[in-house]
Amino acid sequence: MSNIISYKKSFLLFLSILFLGLPITQSHVGSPGVVFEGTAGPYSILVSVNPPDVIPGIAEISIYASDPDITNIQVKPIYWGVGDEGSPKSDPMNPVPGVPGQFEGIVWFMSSGTASIAVYVDGEKGSGEAVVPIMASATAQKEMDASLGWTLAGLGIFLVILMVTIISSSVGLGIVEPGQEGENLKRKKLIGGIVATAFMVLILYGGKSWWDSESASYKRWMYRPPLANTWIEQENGSRIMTFQVDSLSIKNRNRLPMKYMVPDHGKLMHMFIIKEGTLDVFAHLHPKRVDPLTFKVELPEVPEGRYYVFGDIVRRNGYTETISDTLDIPALIAEEPITQDSTWYDPDDTYIVSTAVDQEADDNLPSDILICGKPGVETPLLDGSTAVFEYQPNQSFIAGKVYPLTFAINDPEGNPAELEPYMGMMGHAVVFRKEGGVYVHLHPVGNYSMASQQIIEDRIAEDTPNPVIGQEADVFYDSVNQVVTQLALLSEAERTDILMQGMEHTGLGEHEEHGATVTFPYAFPQEGDYRIWIQMKRNGKVLNSSFDAKVVL
Amino acid sequence: MASTIALEQPLAHESTLRQPAIAFERTPTYVYASVFASLSIIIGLIWDISWHTSIGRDGLLSPPHLAIYLGAVIAGVFSGFKVLKISFWGTGEEKSASVRFWGIFYGSLGTMFCIWGAFAMLTSAPFDDWWHNTYGLDVQILSPPHTVLALGIMSIQLGAVVSTLSQQNSLVGASKVQKLLFIIASGLLLVTLFTLSSEYLGRHDMHHSLFYQVAAGVFPVYLVAVARASKLKWAATWTAIVYSLMLGSMVWILPLFPAEPLLGPIRNHISTYQAFEFPLLLIAPCLFIDLVLNKFGHINKWALAAMLSVTFTLLLLAVQWPFGTFLMSEGARNWFFGTESWYFGSSPDWQYRFDFMPWRLHSGLDLVKGIAIACVVGLFSARVGLVWGKWMTKVQR
Repeated sequence: MSNIISYKKSFLLFLSILFLGLPITQSHVGSPGVVFEGTAGPYSILVSVNPPDVIPGIAEISIYASDPDITNIQVKPIYWGVGDEGSPKSDPMNPVPGVPGQFEGIVWFMSSGTASIAVYVDGEKGSGEAVVPIMASATAQKEMDASLGWTLAGLGIFLVILMVTIISSSVGLGIVEPGQEGENLKRKKLIGGIVATAFMVLILYGGKSWWDSESASYKRWMYRPPLANTWIEQENGSRIMTFQVDSLSIKNRNRLPMKYMVPDHGKLMHMFIIKEGTLDVFAHLHPKRVDPLTFKVELPEVPEGRYYVFGDIVRRNGYTETISDTLDIPALIAEEPITQDSTWYDPDDTYIVSTAVDQEADDNLPSDILICGKPGVETPLLDGSTAVFEYQPNQSFIAGKVYPLTFAINDPEGNPAELEPYMGMMGHAVVFRKEGGVYVHLHPVGNYSMASQQIIEDRIAEDTPNPVIGQEADVFYDSVNQVVTQLALLSEAERTDILMQGMEHTGLGEHEEHGATVTFPYAFPQEGDYRIWIQMKRNGKVLNSSFDAKVVL
Repeated sequence: MASTIALEQPLAHESTLRQPAIAFERTPTYVYASVFASLSIIIGLIWDISWHTSIGRDGLLSPPHLAIYLGAVIAGVFSGFKVLKISFWGTGEEKSASVRFWGIFYGSLGTMFCIWGAFAMLTSAPFDDWWHNTYGLDVQILSPPHTVLALGIMSIQLGAVVSTLSQQNSLVGASKVQKLLFIIASGLLLVTLFTLSSEYLGRHDMHHSLFYQVAAGVFPVYLVAVARASKLKWAATWTAIVYSLMLGSMVWILPLFPAEPLLGPIRNHISTYQAFEFPLLLIAPCLFIDLVLNKFGHINKWALAAMLSVTFTLLLLAVQWPFGTFLMSEGARNWFFGTESWYFGSSPDWQYRFDFMPWRLHSGLDLVKGIAIACVVGLFSARVGLVWGKWMTKVQR
């Protein structure tokens, strides 16, 4: 095993430690806001970023820092593409009047790609900095609201009428000496008016065509999430899912090739499947790569039905994406429980079946079905421990406001449970909106990708505006495959040790202490009914739980 | 102003009663205002371009924007006031010397152009804001909302030209001030025409026939019209001189001020404003436009247009091609020519920063064909310019 470790160490120098020593990546659908909770030097800060939905555009930033020693906070955008060398000077954040410890400001993002917001904090205790990764991309397709539309239409009609008047006057009265108005002036004016109207119609037609073409061009370059084709094959009684990225959906999007995917916490892809409609089945899987576009995974004993499938990936330049599809999963054919020892099984795969949305807890529930919890209600878990979503019962959350989503776990005796890291983190959470449109993967440090963060931090440390990719795609692809394979051969304890190593420098917040409470800072993006799945580890087993939350405007 | 007749002076002669325009012999304030508005706008426009290549980030009320808005407000307010004043408090003479429109309003063509321009610029502001929020901040000079703004700007500048024209045409011999105002107004509009076409008229384009085709399309129509309309003998040349001084002074003055990029990515670290373009050598072809018009102005208009087009295109080629070579050389990398100016987002060590890109070079038959096309484009441009110029000589109100 020492060979593997030394191989890995040398390879880390080659590849940089960040690809392995980090937790699962942030990715999202319909949840553009980025929340960061961590430290900048000696100061604890919480940063909430509302990225621009068009590029170039403005990101709105709020920073919460309760330390009274802080005297100044500055921010600036840094792109992976040009590094710190190609970034502007930082701008001060403005204290919010009447709200001690809260600062606000904006940052311009001029082009698409992997970017970040660097936060610089100064105070009595010294200075510190933090980096919040931002995936800058145009995502909005906006329409003009009616009031502006009518105002512009009114002004436009006025301008057309006035211009027709000017042109007809230019060939009529405007060129007649005072007192010399002749008989055919009216005719001239009329002809001038007709020609001018035709001219203005042509101008308007040309303008509209131009506008349409600009709009089409914008849509062509808008970010579109990558898609996949997914299917199931039965092999020796197991259901093997193939997840194949649709190559057309990743074409011409300024993306690095898929061969430049990097492992995130030792896994190339983190996949979540959620049962459509009832949301009563949830699984966190780790498909294996067959070729740059194709991944395979053995499904656990989830019931048949239609599922949402989300695959989160990171590339060499720190760009994170979620690849999505829907899939009809057939029933298991095997009469015996699946063995989960096929090539496509990963020991970190896990799933739960909980009560369906809107279904009340029922005493007759099968023992392997979990009750979905609500805020403030102690909810039993399958191993006898309990979980509490620490809010008032029936509390609603306000969309757009950052909440510390806190969950406490008690062991079967009612004492605070001793939690262990699960894939390098004290907890993982997935938030999904029942009505659809929102999927996000959270950690106690926020909903950004720590892999991406580390990539950008390393990039910032480079003194050149020109990034170095490092290797040819094929070499890179093979190297990554080898590391992932070697990691999978390690024991869980060894693997956890390695994965935790990379976290020493990430400035994890107070919620990373081993203990019974885990907090995920998050702002729900829109109103609706949400389901939250929480994953923590106790006694070597992953504890899954699910909770419902109501979000209002 | 020796020939000025004061408004209150009694008009004794009957023949002058039939020509009330003489009452406007003194240059009205709104004419000065419209020329000043045109100047303010053009300073703001060039400054804004320089701002975007040097600093990048701006707001609605950035100093260059304020200069542009100031021009719009001055042109709109003075012209609007003039129209309202004549419409509701004007004398019979004033009304009879104005254009009546929409039943109740009286104004000169110049004021109408200025009002149109001010409203177009006003319209462009919310349109542009919406555009930025919908498609992102546009970094090109020409987008649909910017075009509405540009049309507004040109309308105000044309209003300034027409205002000075009506003064010139309605008098027996324009005063020096009025001639000067006309030349300044014309030169400022020429700067706008160049600015709007500048994406095709940079130094990197000067060895490609597209440069000459665009120039032959844009300039003769305007310069011929101005030369035809003005009572000055060398009007096109003077217009080109005003254009050169205006654009040149922006090259010489702006880099004296500090500026720092406030948007990433920054590939070119600079500390002062980066200049816009050094003026094209339009003076040379303009001299010949004046010459041709002065000497052959009476011949068949199509023949005249052909002569003007060929003269303009070939002379521009003769001066601008070698000047393009010079602008790429070290000799031009100084405060006077300003070719060291470079957008902060572009790499300063780009291999073609001071060289022509091979794919933007024309030579041999391609060049001959391209220049021939430019001459044909110029023919129609000059012919329209002759018609436009003729109209300009007729403007009375």
